[in-house]
Amino acid sequence: MTRIVSPRLAAYAGLAATGLITGLATGRVELVALAAPFALAAVAGAALARDPAIEATLVLDRERALESEDVEAALELVSPGGSDRVEVLLQMPAELRSRARNPRAVRLAPGEPRTLTVPLRCERWGAFAVGPVLVRARDPLGFHSWETKLAGRSPLRVYPSVETLHALLPPFETQVFIGNQVSRTKGDGIEFADVREWEPGDRVRRVNWRASARRGGLWVNDQHPERNTDVVLFLDTFADVRSAGRGTLDLTVRAATSLAHRYLQRKDRVGLVSFGGYLSWLLPASGTHQLYRIVDSLLQMDIVLSFATKGVDVLPPRTLPPKALVLALTPLLDSRSAAALLDLRARGFDLVVIEVSPVPFIEPGKGELAELSYRLWRLSRESLRARYEQAGVPVIEWLDGVPLNVPLEEVAAFRRHARPARA
Amino acid sequence: MLAYAAARVPSLAGLVVAIGLLGALLLAFVLVRRADDLLPWALAVLAVAYTVSLFVHGAAVDQAAPLVAAGLLLCGELAAWSLDERHGMAAERAVVLRRALALGTLVLAGLGASAAVVAFTAASAGNGLAWTAVGAAAAVLVVGTAARLARRTA
Repeated sequence: MTRIVSPRLAAYAGLAATGLITGLATGRVELVALAAPFALAAVAGAALARDPAIEATLVLDRERALESEDVEAALELVSPGGSDRVEVLLQMPAELRSRARNPRAVRLAPGEPRTLTVPLRCERWGAFAVGPVLVRARDPLGFHSWETKLAGRSPLRVYPSVETLHALLPPFETQVFIGNQVSRTKGDGIEFADVREWEPGDRVRRVNWRASARRGGLWVNDQHPERNTDVVLFLDTFADVRSAGRGTLDLTVRAATSLAHRYLQRKDRVGLVSFGGYLSWLLPASGTHQLYRIVDSLLQMDIVLSFATKGVDVLPPRTLPPKALVLALTPLLDSRSAAALLDLRARGFDLVVIEVSPVPFIEPGKGELAELSYRLWRLSRESLRARYEQAGVPVIEWLDGVPLNVPLEEVAAFRRHARPARA
Repeated sequence: MLAYAAARVPSLAGLVVAIGLLGALLLAFVLVRRADDLLPWALAVLAVAYTVSLFVHGAAVDQAAPLVAAGLLLCGELAAWSLDERHGMAAERAVVLRRALALGTLVLAGLGASAAVVAFTAASAGNGLAWTAVGAAAAVLVVGTAARLARRTA
């Protein structure tokens, strides 16, 4: 531990020395009497200095939590010699909030372990490290202190909360593998699609006898097969607008987690593209492992400032498989992501844009000019939305506080009458 | 303490009060601006106010000097405690009690040491070169200790 001597100790010794010398020189015993308590304090301060040799262990009750949950950090302190005042500060990121006093001062009895519990509220998703613990011990009079960092860092992963989604967006086209999505095509399946005349090769059990009797020929049933789909979550991470601890990136990550969770539950393949200053992607895959991969990737999501011009060309082709439903979550603030999405549409991808609206996070400025610029900014956003709609891309504004089900339902209503895009 | 020093020398009460007020203002400045480096200077100025009254009053030994000394130490320690608590850290009751106990013990011990010094003057231990040498050696020891502590602090 690093020892720090209070300047007061030297000052007291100096006062005592001055008093003694002046008393000796002038022959006034009162000055010596005046110096005596300070000399005693200096000597006592020097004599009481003992390194408390504190050891600390930090344990979190779990390493994973959801947003808004509490995690309890148990900090065990022990000192062979004890200390009358030990100041403890548990270092933690701003996304975690201590629900107990932090820092706080406690007393350690000699050799007796003391456990301090610090409940931590996980206010935002992310991968964090709790600790180290900054410890400062003082002697009884505060003449000496010992400081050190103890206990290392304990990892804590806070996952975004998942919203319950009642319905998901079906893509226009399904893939060839078995899944839970009823395909629009006809083939072997359960869902009835149509009746048609018998053709050589049709199985007898597919004959619709009632229709055949009525029409005087063999008619068979057609079904819609159940297939899986490829969904690519396209996250625009060029910009984030924050206000009062909430922001568009938070909403984007929560929505992406909820969508990935539900699509993967449905046996679909889900991929992820983080399109921003720092480009990252996950190839579409299915299963629980993919959910973990996606969530871990989302925890690392951050805004990285970049002026580089980027297009969808920089993405590996396998990240955007043919017939995939591309669900873009974007605040529509950066022209690069807006252009990339239009490019995707031009390439024939089944694209849906969920606009994570930054409007609730932005206060219009005061004054005529500020209000005018705010109105112009809103108009430019509407103009961008109109461009997407002209290209046949549904753009749904999603406001903070509104359930994700609402924009999904709006998109579903839009797509009920839409046709697949052709390049 | 200031009132006592001023009351002892009515003729120069104004000077004593002025020096004492300067010390008090310096102490207030230390507490308000958390300038703990200036704390010894505030105590020194307060001690000077008392010293002036001592020299003006005459050669008689002031029997209340131990109380003044203990008061000065108490003043310094309370100010230092206040400065230590500047960050508003939550401290448990045992921590506060231990420091109060340590402070009280120190001030009482200081009062005792100071009273012993004054009491020794009443005893006729004799005088001469040997006593002067012992006194000088004690002073050198204290100054040496102070210098050593100052070097370690720096």
